[in-house]
Amino acid sequence: MAETPTIVPRSKAPILLISIGIVAVGLLLFVMNLCFGSVSIPFEEFTKALFHGDTSTYRAIILDYRLPQAITALLAGIGLSVAGLLMQTLFRNPLADPSLLGISSGSSLGVALVVLLGTATGLSVSTLSLWSTFGVAMAAFIGAFVVLLLILALSSRLRSMVSLVLVGIMIAYIAGSVTDILKFFSQKEGLHSFVIWGMGSFSNVGKAQLPFFAATILIGVVAAFLLFKTLNLLLLGERYAENLGVNIKRSSMLIILVSGFLTAVITAFCGPIAFLGLAVPHIARFLFKSSDHKLLIPATAFIGMDLALFCNLIARLPSFEGNLPINSVTALIGAPIVLWVIFHRQKVLR
Amino acid sequence: MNEVLHTYNLLIGYKGQPLIPEVNVSLCEGDIVALAGPNGSGKTTLFKTLSASIKPIGGEVKLFGKDLRDYSPTERSSLFSLVLTEKPDDLFLKVIDIVAAGRYPHLGLLARLKAEDEQIIYDSLQTVGIGHLTNRNFVSLSDGEKQKVMIAKALVQDTPIIFMDEPAAFLDYPSKIELVNIMHKLSREQHKTILFSSHDLDLLLRHSDQLWVMAPHQPLRQGTPKELVEQGIIDDYFKPIVAKEEFYWMR
Repeated sequence: MAETPTIVPRSKAPILLISIGIVAVGLLLFVMNLCFGSVSIPFEEFTKALFHGDTSTYRAIILDYRLPQAITALLAGIGLSVAGLLMQTLFRNPLADPSLLGISSGSSLGVALVVLLGTATGLSVSTLSLWSTFGVAMAAFIGAFVVLLLILALSSRLRSMVSLVLVGIMIAYIAGSVTDILKFFSQKEGLHSFVIWGMGSFSNVGKAQLPFFAATILIGVVAAFLLFKTLNLLLLGERYAENLGVNIKRSSMLIILVSGFLTAVITAFCGPIAFLGLAVPHIARFLFKSSDHKLLIPATAFIGMDLALFCNLIARLPSFEGNLPINSVTALIGAPIVLWVIFHRQKVLR
Repeated sequence: MNEVLHTYNLLIGYKGQPLIPEVNVSLCEGDIVALAGPNGSGKTTLFKTLSASIKPIGGEVKLFGKDLRDYSPTERSSLFSLVLTEKPDDLFLKVIDIVAAGRYPHLGLLARLKAEDEQIIYDSLQTVGIGHLTNRNFVSLSDGEKQKVMIAKALVQDTPIIFMDEPAAFLDYPSKIELVNIMHKLSREQHKTILFSSHDLDLLLRHSDQLWVMAPHQPLRQGTPKELVEQGIIDDYFKPIVAKEEFYWMR
């Protein structure tokens, strides 16, 4: 099929090449996630276990344990990154992110309310049934949504990007201290499972919950993609967007709903995971040298997938006994990116 | 001359407090209309009211015979376009992205550009003379170039009316001349109606067909620059400024 000739010259960034690279890295990381862990599986054994109907323990490890975990990691990476991108565009703030703006903390508080107060009724995060998972997800969603609304209300008064982040951090502190107070009054077993949950992990989503988890994230990402025109227009500034037909209030609500929904579902299942949502959109913009959300949303999704799989792999390198808390790994990779963003902006805008 | 915009006893302001007495003005097709007034006289508020960003306190704005607020946001986006003092600051936003965004109201869900849209974008870039900047990052441009990009965006939007809020602010002299040339081209060749605000006497008096003069709590005066000068309104307008301390050397 012949491409329609374009009158306006556009720089041909090697978009296709980069995309193929990102997907290839993702596939490689996915396989590595299945092979490496506390039990290392040689590649021949790996193919045998998967494709030759072998019933060894290898097959059980891969299918029952590592595959759901890898898929959870990949989905969480996709969802958090897309949510971060949406927030950065909505608040026109490169530092906007579910964790930095206190949205994860809002979610955590919601979860704390359900889990810590719920221990009395025999509910525990480690033994979540689908129904109680739904309850935790709802609590996380309400927590995230309340904080997002608060941030949105305040963001119109706070023009500077740093003050909005400071407000987010303060909100996080408030939510955090209420959570701590709840912890103080809660029972041992609830406390234990809440602390474990708070470290973040991709292994909490069992086979039974995986389809539900996957479906919700897919819906969220598709909804985000359908908003790409609005998001592109918002980049020009509110008044330009409004002049180009955007209903600012309704669009802001939609974007908040979608990003809050994604953050909340992932936080409920995996714990509050820091910095992925912040770092990945910047990597996508930088790799593709673009701000066009039609390209950025899929790019962010795939890079988010890669980075989450990478973090998951690091978190359980063969030499470690058990998993490192995923949060420490994502922060280790994400925080330097925040610093880079701040310095890079200063350099470019000067 | 066809009237494109008309205000009836329009009251502008915030929280029920009108800034100036009722405004009764009109814009005619193909006119360049300049809006003059010191800071705080309500120029930006008037702009925001005319572009449906804020509600009027009283009276109404008629756009092509219909109340401004009876149009949907999408309909409005094909009637007037904006060039503002605030500028996009995203680091990776390219000139082409911004100009193409002006075409969005005309595009479908996936925002695919048809050959016709490409042609309009191309023509607009040529009209303002920034064809060579297409793939540059917006933040890397000079103030004059940025201004032209925003004008190109407004052109691509293909509206009969263009509102420009202080388009000459931050521009050096050559860029200002270019801006004037572009405004004349748009008004004379494409019959666009342009309303712009400025503090620049040269722009206000020499390059506008009609002049609106605003002052705090005073009625808005409309006329050709010549009429307003002859009626002494321009004099009155500048007297309080000259009387101030900082202009002691002019007395």
